[in-house]
Amino acid sequence: MARRLFFLGLDSLPPRCLYGDLSGHFQYLKGLAEDGAKFSMRSCHPPITIPAWLVMFTGKSPGELGIYGFRHKVKGGYGTHIVNSSYVKAETLWDRLGREGLRVGLYGVPPTYPPRPVKGFLVSDFTTPDPSASYTFPPWLKRELEAAAGPPIFDIVYRSGDKERVARDVLAMLENHMRQVEYLATSKGWDAFFYVEIAVDRAHHAFWRFFDPQHPRFEEHPTYSKVIPSLYERIDSWFERLHRRLPKDTIVMIASDHGTKAMKGAFVVNQWLAELGFLKLKKGLRELEPGTDLQEELVDWGRTRAWAWGGYYSRFFVNVKGREPEGAVEPEAFEEVVDELRSELRSLRGPRGERWETLAVRPAEVYPRAEGDAPDLMVYFDNLSWRAAGTLGWSSNYLPENDRGPDDAVHDWYGVLAIYDPEGRVSSSNKGIVEAHEVRKLLEKLLLE
Amino acid sequence: MQASFMSEKAHIAISKELYEKCKRFIEEQGGFSSVEEFVEFVLSEVLSKEETEGAQLSEEEEEKVKERLKALGYI
Repeated sequence: MARRLFFLGLDSLPPRCLYGDLSGHFQYLKGLAEDGAKFSMRSCHPPITIPAWLVMFTGKSPGELGIYGFRHKVKGGYGTHIVNSSYVKAETLWDRLGREGLRVGLYGVPPTYPPRPVKGFLVSDFTTPDPSASYTFPPWLKRELEAAAGPPIFDIVYRSGDKERVARDVLAMLENHMRQVEYLATSKGWDAFFYVEIAVDRAHHAFWRFFDPQHPRFEEHPTYSKVIPSLYERIDSWFERLHRRLPKDTIVMIASDHGTKAMKGAFVVNQWLAELGFLKLKKGLRELEPGTDLQEELVDWGRTRAWAWGGYYSRFFVNVKGREPEGAVEPEAFEEVVDELRSELRSLRGPRGERWETLAVRPAEVYPRAEGDAPDLMVYFDNLSWRAAGTLGWSSNYLPENDRGPDDAVHDWYGVLAIYDPEGRVSSSNKGIVEAHEVRKLLEKLLLE
Repeated sequence: MQASFMSEKAHIAISKELYEKCKRFIEEQGGFSSVEEFVEFVLSEVLSKEETEGAQLSEEEEEKVKERLKALGYI
């Protein structure tokens, strides 16, 4: 008889927090990892929640998926759409498992809104607009779930300067999810259950500098230093209780989609591009209020060669004639512009003149193919340590804090993957590195062979 | 759905256990005169959501998610 598998996804968890110096708050999960196979999981380009989980569950690179982040560039336009489940055209692991006769349960896997049919059940993730939406498959599961475990909290709203509230909200969201998952995992039939918890990522971004002694701005705080430990301990003790209720031969996989590290600052990429002459604005930089979005109408597209998007990594786009609505760069000059951008990025230094290890990668260099509207460059300022601020109007290109959102942490290249098999078919050892796109095959091997 | 389309049938097989469960359900609950009618209803309900909602977010829904992601620093 096929054994069950419970997949516990802890978004953004770095190896230090499950295996290393910060793992003290995951006693039970650490123990499972020690008794199992331990990997560091190398995330994809880019190491961001969307598309990283998708890469893990489809076995395809972001290029093959045509999904390069939360936003999707409108074809032939300067605008964006938010990625949702309908953008996923590749076969997922759960599609295959369903065809092989296994029942699946999915909770919070990004992006699964709007919910698509699965052989089993599905509760969508933080990309769900709000609880009034139809967020489950089958559709009637929503009413049952809310009656049993309360209405869902899909995400927190981050308000800077109100960290007390963020702390309360992130823990409340975690408790909400754990209650719902426990209900589903113990009352429904399933062979494979995939649960991704986003509260871990939210807590990391908001409270990392109160938790990681290696953070350059580390601060011991009576309340904020307890948030991440409390979060970890709650997950740990909750899973220990749940684990005892599952069949004894259930395989457990603990994984994350990327890691976390200290944020050093935010680099104001579009201001930098404007100063270098790549981006032309209709107003002077000094006329803009701090935090002004780079809106379409602000840009003099006819004289703009390139622009960028902000976020935990930066996407650069060349304003190519024939591809963009008001392209200014002849297609023959495209390579020259990209080379020029890369050259400028190579010589880019930090606020005190320090060397940066900025990576500027072309999709063709890292993907077998690049579908959809791939960026022309994927840029990681100082190897992800500096996030990209896409906004304008700042007095400096180097912001010590974020232009929006929390500013304690950025993403890192390595997450975790640990497999605990109580029947010992997966030997306990340190297995080294597994690539994000290899995770699907590992899961198929465990479930189908 | 057009009545003439609904009257053309394709045969599928379901487990006897499920069939009996379904039969008991509609006998107890009422509202449907046969297992066939119930199964057709349930399937068309599930599938009509796929068609009408079209798996695309409305502008309002997308704005909600965009603002949330902006506040979180993702965009």
